[in-house]
Amino acid sequence: MSRYLLLVILNVPLIIAGTVNAVVSYKLGHSSRRRFITRIIVWIIIFLSLLFTKSIYDFLFSNKLTQTEPLSLFDVAQITGIIFTFYIANQAYIRADLLERRIQDLHQELSIRLSEDEKKK
Amino acid sequence: MAKQPKVAIIIPAYNEEPSVGPVVTELRKGLQGKPFDFEIVVVDDSSKDDTANQAEEAGAYVIKHILNTGSGGATATGLSYAQQKGFDLAATMDADGQHHSNDMINGIEIMLSGDSDLLIGSRLIDAKGMSTVKLLGNRGLSLITFLIFGIRVTDSQSGMRVFSKQALDSLKWKTSGYEFCSEMLWRAKQQGLRIKEYSIRAIYTDYSKSKGQNNWNGVNIIKYLLQRRIMELFGE
Repeated sequence: MSRYLLLVILNVPLIIAGTVNAVVSYKLGHSSRRRFITRIIVWIIIFLSLLFTKSIYDFLFSNKLTQTEPLSLFDVAQITGIIFTFYIANQAYIRADLLERRIQDLHQELSIRLSEDEKKK
Repeated sequence: MAKQPKVAIIIPAYNEEPSVGPVVTELRKGLQGKPFDFEIVVVDDSSKDDTANQAEEAGAYVIKHILNTGSGGATATGLSYAQQKGFDLAATMDADGQHHSNDMINGIEIMLSGDSDLLIGSRLIDAKGMSTVKLLGNRGLSLITFLIFGIRVTDSQSGMRVFSKQALDSLKWKTSGYEFCSEMLWRAKQQGLRIKEYSIRAIYTDYSKSKGQNNWNGVNIIKYLLQRRIMELFGE
């Protein structure tokens, strides 16, 4: 199997997952239209870069912009790892951000209520 | 007889024992007889000194934070209280005594005239008395606010602000340190709120100078704002 095809096959599930997350988040009203569009554009750029990896490499090589070897199996694993890390980091940020907001709201509400209770006593 | 508008004046305070009492007392005096009802709310951001008692003795309603969150967190708590209690307007000012109560009252009166949603008391329209270092720092942060968020104001870090009912109901920000000042402007812009400025005088005493942000904190502010701006492209 072509290594370029393998690269696309390994990464397409991550791209689909990232795109689906962006759509669901937008449809549920958790993210704005602008943020939704940005996220979709990022995943499309990643997808197109993978799809045209060979053409990009050929273009760079023929214009003497790179002297590296063509795609190896190690490169495939490394690129997949980078995209997987990006996906995980993105998900982790979203969850951490949501959690931080909830803790802030909880702290606010608790401080207001405790102060009210203290005054009633 | 028409109902008088209710105004909450929020004063976030952290270790402000020497100044918070006089600030509240002077403000109360200035607000007497004005055509609106008011409540002065001091949000004690988990101070280690006697800030809360000093504020209470001076006649403020005190909300005590359980944890120290920073100026942005304390301001958010105060505004949340004002929103829950159905205030028509809210205003914020610093507890270190650098703001003049007349400027606060002036801001409330401008807001009551109704042509803005977020009114910022700018110390830089007339920057008399401000040290060159502070002047450069504040102008620099206003420039950064413009470059990152596209909002043109002269004093993005001012703690004296007045909020309309609409701003009170809709404004939420995520950062809790001093960087909330710039983030709040960004959120206001996103919400389509009308942002305006008016000139205030800053009172620089040795105490208020010692309490203000130093310019190195500006580096942190820029870092947080950039981080927030970039990560927001991906977050919820």
